[in-house]
Amino acid sequence: MSALMAIKPDFDTTSPPPATAEATPLFELRGISKTFPGVKALDDVSFALWPGEVHMLLGENGAGKSSLMKVLCGAYQADAGEYFHEGEKVEIRTPADARKLGIAVIFQEFSLVPYLDVAQNIFLGREFPSRIPGLVDRKRLYREAQAVLDLIGLDIDPRTKVHALGVAQQQMVEIGKALSQNARILVMDEPTAALSDRETERLFEVMRQLQAKGVAIVYISHRMAEVFALGDRITVLRDGKLVGRARPGQTTPDELVRMMVGRTVDMSYPRNFAETPGEIALEVRGLSSKNGIRDIDLTVRAGEIVGLCGLVGSGRSEVARAIFGADEVTAGEISIFGKPRRGGPDAATMAGVGLIPESRKTEGLALIRTVADNLAVAGLPKLFPNKLFSPTQARRSAEELIKRLRIATPSPNQSVALLSGGNQQKVVIGKWLAAGTRLFIFDEPTRGIDVGAKAEIFALIDQLVADGAAVLMISSEQAEIVHVCDRAYVMRGKRIVGELSRSELSEENIVRMGMHHD
Amino acid sequence: MTDQAVSSPLLRLPAVPGVAVALAGLSLLFALASPGFLTAGNLSNVLVQSVILLLLALPMTLIIMTEGLDLSMGAVLTLASLVLALIVVATQSLALGLIGALAVGLAFGLVNGWLIAGLSIPPFVATLGTLGAAQGLALVVSDGQSVVGIPRFVRLVYSGETFGIPTPILIGAGFYALFHVLLYHTRFGTYVCALGGNRDALTLAGVAWKRLLVAVYMLGGAMAGVAALLMTARINAGHPTAAIGLEFDAIAAVALGGTSFDKGNGWLFGTLLGVLTVGVLRNGLNLMAVPSSVQVACIGALVIAALLVDSLRSTRS
Repeated sequence: MSALMAIKPDFDTTSPPPATAEATPLFELRGISKTFPGVKALDDVSFALWPGEVHMLLGENGAGKSSLMKVLCGAYQADAGEYFHEGEKVEIRTPADARKLGIAVIFQEFSLVPYLDVAQNIFLGREFPSRIPGLVDRKRLYREAQAVLDLIGLDIDPRTKVHALGVAQQQMVEIGKALSQNARILVMDEPTAALSDRETERLFEVMRQLQAKGVAIVYISHRMAEVFALGDRITVLRDGKLVGRARPGQTTPDELVRMMVGRTVDMSYPRNFAETPGEIALEVRGLSSKNGIRDIDLTVRAGEIVGLCGLVGSGRSEVARAIFGADEVTAGEISIFGKPRRGGPDAATMAGVGLIPESRKTEGLALIRTVADNLAVAGLPKLFPNKLFSPTQARRSAEELIKRLRIATPSPNQSVALLSGGNQQKVVIGKWLAAGTRLFIFDEPTRGIDVGAKAEIFALIDQLVADGAAVLMISSEQAEIVHVCDRAYVMRGKRIVGELSRSELSEENIVRMGMHHD
Repeated sequence: MTDQAVSSPLLRLPAVPGVAVALAGLSLLFALASPGFLTAGNLSNVLVQSVILLLLALPMTLIIMTEGLDLSMGAVLTLASLVLALIVVATQSLALGLIGALAVGLAFGLVNGWLIAGLSIPPFVATLGTLGAAQGLALVVSDGQSVVGIPRFVRLVYSGETFGIPTPILIGAGFYALFHVLLYHTRFGTYVCALGGNRDALTLAGVAWKRLLVAVYMLGGAMAGVAALLMTARINAGHPTAAIGLEFDAIAAVALGGTSFDKGNGWLFGTLLGVLTVGVLRNGLNLMAVPSSVQVACIGALVIAALLVDSLRSTRS
């Protein structure tokens, strides 16, 4: 039995980290519970924050991290539990209460207003009054915003409207917004997910400065490297419960993953590699599209998982969209199972192609509809050959898929928005199974999906190819490509620049090819 | 607005919004087609006749920026105008009449806001309901008859001049300036944009946005009250169908002006251009003796054409 597993939930809260000598924690939660209809999101969670520490919060999606954050910042009200600020009991009922206590949260889903500018967003709700009553002091607004941008090293005009920024810049603005509140407690939810290496480095630098000033940081991450590089202490949640605490020096990634999923997960995603691939499922010759990809040649056979890698922006998703008929093809040929592909996504679907897009929530699912509706939507012609929708038939088909894919949902009539990321992804896969898809194109299949569910998704993909389907998989996680794919194409600058066979497939080779400069 | 480069040669040159193109094009067309159009008198006329529409289109811009809509404005204006007329005729007091009209507008704004913010009824449905209520009340209050005998001091609000400038133009300019300051220089304006753009952001910033949303609809109601004064002065009566359907022109002007129906993307100056475009179109068609029913169809076609230009531009970027 490991030392980690032996730690009882209320053990570590009373021992401050060695770095600080203060007797009382900066902030403490005791016995926090929060129930939503049908789900216990938080179950008797207690944890303490000391000044100047980076407290890593780990857990799969749905483990309760987000709920805990929302309780902390006043967006949700806990059903039970107490808060202590420097040893004194306090109440947090609204976001304003939390702000008064110096708690600032950087949300993963952006809390920015698209058609307000950067400065207005940073100081939303905290506008500076002008000398003329009722007006905002705009000079000061832009001056202070510029100071915040300088602090985080973001080189943009504070008058830029936020919608015109890229995702990484928006994330940095969000970080600037939280920092500008002079927070003493800063909560970050996967802040580096959308950032480049340079921006990440800058963020870590800012975090170190804040730490030195005694700010306590709660940091949620799925990246083990960050957990070990930045964390002073680690708290692990699972199913709304606190399941363990640790210090980076005294635990291992494997141990943490075991705690998160409550079972042993092999990070290497076992695959049954086929000896001899089957017929050609997809053949692309000289493909160029309106979205900029040029001269793409690639082949995928039944029984194969073929990777498509390269840096973000190298044109991978554009290839997927062109094959699926979502983007206009300007030159070249695409054949699906030996037949030329014509028309749009509807024709592609009929030909047996299914796209599992990168933006699951906007492109993969109809979020407000039920699991059953989403599972039926791609397979309507197949499920209802006489063109009349039958709720019974849809439900039967949905129940079958839920069982087969082990989708965790209370019922087929559950709104798909309420499922975890991993289960939503299974629904997207399921809708193509219902449509009789034989060529699956996965675009970042594990984006926003936690460790345990990742393994399940890959087991599912392995099962698909074992059953004779063909898979083209785009991923920015090179480790995934290396572990899962039979072979892979590498893209750079909207072209395919090389192919790696199973034996050549390594992270080094992918990076070398994808980044090579002529 | 749309400032990205575009590929089609047709759309490359004008980095100008569709509404400006429409306004310039229509003015040119009418100037060529009708000799009476390009005269100082007629142009002043266009401005004066556009003021009532502007008074509705200004708050409508804010309402649409919150991803809302107010279909009741024309009917509320009508009811307010009747109430104003009845009070003025009875008391000979402009102030009391205006207070009555504002009270009617604010009351309907409050109900609209409460239905939408408090009960989460979609704005389209909520204000369609109050449209019916206001229209019905207008018929009840007036018994289906016009209220006549409007005193001269009321009529002068529309037909008089102040500092040598027609009074309605000054009123319109004043309210435009007021809305400009409100939208771009106050917290309220920032929050209006956020109401449509991201309500969660407001919640997390500790802003009680439901009250703000109610305030936006009350502002719309109040402006219908102000417009009621000009309408009464203009037609020299309170009439139970005076401004029925005017919300169509207001929404058209806002849409023409490039304010989008989602995400809080609004443009107040565009609304002014949109109002003038509708005004020029109506005026020009009047000069050419085109019946008013056909004019409505023309406004509709113009809105679609202008939005098409903007939409083509933004999808090409």
